Amino acid sequence: MRQMIKDARIAGLTEGTEVADLYWRDGVIEGVGVGGEVDRVWEAKGAFLAPALMDLQAHFCDPGQEVREGLAAGMKAAAAGGFGTVVVMPDTEPVLDDAAQVAHLQARAEALGGVRVRVAGALSRGLNGEQIADLAALQQAGVVLATDGVMAVRDGHLFRRACEYAEELGLLVQGGGLDRNLCQAGVMHEGRVSERLGLPGQPAIAERLALYRDAEIARMTGARVHFGHVTTSESVELLAWLRAQGAPISVGTTPHHLLLSEESMAPFDPRCKVFPPLRPPSDAKALRQALIDGKIDCIATDHQPWTLAEKEQDLVQAPAGIAGLETAWAVLYTALVVPRLLTVERLLELWTSGPARVMGWKEPRLVAGEAADMVLLDLDTPRPVEPMGFFSKSRISPWDGQNLCGWPIATFVRGQCCFTREGFGEASRTSVHRTERL
Amino acid sequence: MMEAVQIRHRHLLDLEDWSASEIESLWRTTDAMVEVMQRKVKKVPALQGLTIVTLFFENSTRTRLSFERAAKAQSAEVLNFAAGGSSLSKGESLKDTLKAIDAMQADLYVVRHGVAGTPHQMSRWTDASIVNAGDGRRAHPTQALLDGYTFRQGFRGFDGFRGKRLVIVGDVMHSRVARSNIGLWTKLGAEVVLCGPRTLLPTELGQWPGVQRCFRLEEAVEGAHAVMALRMQRERMQSGLFPSVSEYQARYQLTAKVMERAHPDALVMHPGPMNRDVEIEGVLADSPRSVIEQQVAHGVPVRMAVLYSLLVGRAR
Amino acid sequence: MDLRWKKRLMDEGEINRAVNRMAHEIIERSDRLEGVVLVGIHTRGIPMAEHLSKLIKHYEGVELPVGKLDITLYRDDLTEIGVQPIVRRTEVPVDIHDRELVLCDDVLYTGRTARAALDALMDLGRPSLIRLAVLVDRGHRELPIQADYVGRAIQTSRSEVIKVRFHSTDGQEGVDLLERGS
Repeated sequence: MRQMIKDARIAGLTEGTEVADLYWRDGVIEGVGVGGEVDRVWEAKGAFLAPALMDLQAHFCDPGQEVREGLAAGMKAAAAGGFGTVVVMPDTEPVLDDAAQVAHLQARAEALGGVRVRVAGALSRGLNGEQIADLAALQQAGVVLATDGVMAVRDGHLFRRACEYAEELGLLVQGGGLDRNLCQAGVMHEGRVSERLGLPGQPAIAERLALYRDAEIARMTGARVHFGHVTTSESVELLAWLRAQGAPISVGTTPHHLLLSEESMAPFDPRCKVFPPLRPPSDAKALRQALIDGKIDCIATDHQPWTLAEKEQDLVQAPAGIAGLETAWAVLYTALVVPRLLTVERLLELWTSGPARVMGWKEPRLVAGEAADMVLLDLDTPRPVEPMGFFSKSRISPWDGQNLCGWPIATFVRGQCCFTREGFGEASRTSVHRTERL
Repeated sequence: MMEAVQIRHRHLLDLEDWSASEIESLWRTTDAMVEVMQRKVKKVPALQGLTIVTLFFENSTRTRLSFERAAKAQSAEVLNFAAGGSSLSKGESLKDTLKAIDAMQADLYVVRHGVAGTPHQMSRWTDASIVNAGDGRRAHPTQALLDGYTFRQGFRGFDGFRGKRLVIVGDVMHSRVARSNIGLWTKLGAEVVLCGPRTLLPTELGQWPGVQRCFRLEEAVEGAHAVMALRMQRERMQSGLFPSVSEYQARYQLTAKVMERAHPDALVMHPGPMNRDVEIEGVLADSPRSVIEQQVAHGVPVRMAVLYSLLVGRAR
Repeated sequence: MDLRWKKRLMDEGEINRAVNRMAHEIIERSDRLEGVVLVGIHTRGIPMAEHLSKLIKHYEGVELPVGKLDITLYRDDLTEIGVQPIVRRTEVPVDIHDRELVLCDDVLYTGRTARAALDALMDLGRPSLIRLAVLVDRGHRELPIQADYVGRAIQTSRSEVIKVRFHSTDGQEGVDLLERGS
């Protein structure tokens, strides 16, 4: 099937308000302005066409807790957020530490079609931090990253051995986010706000120390280690320094750590409970600066869906996590690009070529011969966040009700449309008709 | 003298948004309630027809009884809901639990919960008033109100809180009583000195306006007008917060001897329940300086005043 | 609420004469004057009770104790009103058990205040007898309550308001009739 997006502003190809038409056949891009007959025309009407976004960190809770998300809902949510590729986390029930399971999950995702689902496998068997998982078998089954989650592996020795093993396989390892012991029962960032609220806090050094140990192990073993939840100014500086010393590491952060702060917890809002916890505004500001400075390689959603019943608890009982797939691009675009704190190109890089480089994948570009994984973004029309309309089963958002710009209006993966925002598809179908007659 | 003002609050979640004159007005109402509790018939019909539900997710028979007495002394209906552990164990969210109880048509909930902020969350989910009877380590406003009232009544020649100094000794970190008293006393112009092992005195608290930290008891009580010892829980030893009971006693037990350094009329307070001879010397607790019994006695009239203030005059 | 002044009902001299007469009536009707307790209802029943006590001491040499009664907690409309009445301390200095009480208030209107006061007094003890003394009886009773001693009975309409002022509470003395504006 041959398709064309008409009158789009195309990332990296057109300037300013200039528009062009992009053609693709089946899953492969043919190029801009190629001409010729097509089966389907998508009217972009000046919307912005970019490579589909990549998310290196999403929890789909599948298998085991499909009540929270599941593969199908998660993939739809990802497509609605403009993502063409998502790496799903292994903290499922059972844990993704078994090659057959990984293969099965991937086969199910293929069968569903749409967003490309890549699997992060467990670093230790059962995520128990005691025995390294069968990393080679997992890798062969398709695992692209080994991780035990946000809490650092308790045993530094085990992490060292895992890194050595993974280095030989060429498998990327995710480094620790937080030191369990220092976190204790903390439910938020320890500091002025936690004392005021009387909530147990976790000190910022719980993050820095975890990162430091794992980054030094990366340097020693030569294993590529990615730190996906870097949330403080000092962590960023520490990792930048270690990288300059030759540690083979990469750095990621999340939309909520970039935009929200510990103050969001002040109304006792479990929606904002997340690990690592939201930090003081000065840290969020430093993270935003690090996006510009290049000290951060990529942004990931750390999409963590919970049901309303699970979240509507007290601040200790309520689980940590924000379901951010569907708002990730729009919140950052609105908060950073609209007020010109960041260019749209840089934000796009942090969601596309940035994560691709971290993963060692080919950087996506909208040129001939490349995969037709694309997202069409409406950069101008403000639209409120309506969690009740989410594709994700987790209809909770800390940005509930906020008016955002930049919303994805259509997502294409392997050349096939897997999401259109209400209204967009309709208009296009009529135009297809007309084009065929011509 | 300060004019009595109308109290316009719907909830008593903490004292942060209560003004000094509202607190003084509440204490004037308390004066009237003290008299009611001295009568032959300790019951007035003020809250007749209203329903108060005590919602205790954390056990505290004393506080619950005190609220129940305060409600019944004003002829309100009282229902007790002992939630015990978590509602999640029944697969129900906190909101669902509250919604289910809301069907009882309560006018006011008295909420005790082990986690800070729960009464705030609940206030978003119901039309009824909420009184915080203690949430995590955050706040215990009625306790602070009765402590302040006890000082107002008991300090010889009391002429206001300005220029007075309260010393709070012990596990300030985990204490909602300490946090609420810090808020109350500093709002009224007093100074608060926190004293205890460094592990139990959060740095941030020492930076609040009007608050100081002091790690030596002898220095802390120097010239103090009131000294409050907090309950020391033995579990804290396990979390590495202090080495042993004997070391704690040696350094921080409030004794008659150390009280000699305080103001000659200084009062000794304890929010209870008391570990005699751990955080406070037994003879000191029984001495004339001690107003520990008065604190308990003032619990009911202060809570009567709170219930009256939140429930009367609400019709708009 | 707009209040328009209509006319002066009693000046200071007239109040004095009325209270004087009531003092004499109390003396006359009481079998054992030493056993009588005067109880003023907050706010303006209290200066009235004090005034009566002073006069009785002047005529008979007997000082009757004066109690202060706050009836707020006994009002029957507490859960229906939009303002929060300030509760004052009730202070009755003697045990009223088996005593003869004279309840004092400035104005008798619907009778609801007197009803609340009776309930309040019963909770303090079991008096042998309660009588009611009011400076002004303006009619419109909603409960079966009558005053035993009345300074002056006045015909009023419901839209009118009686305003009593005493030196100790208001800095001036007099009874005025006001009209509620539309």
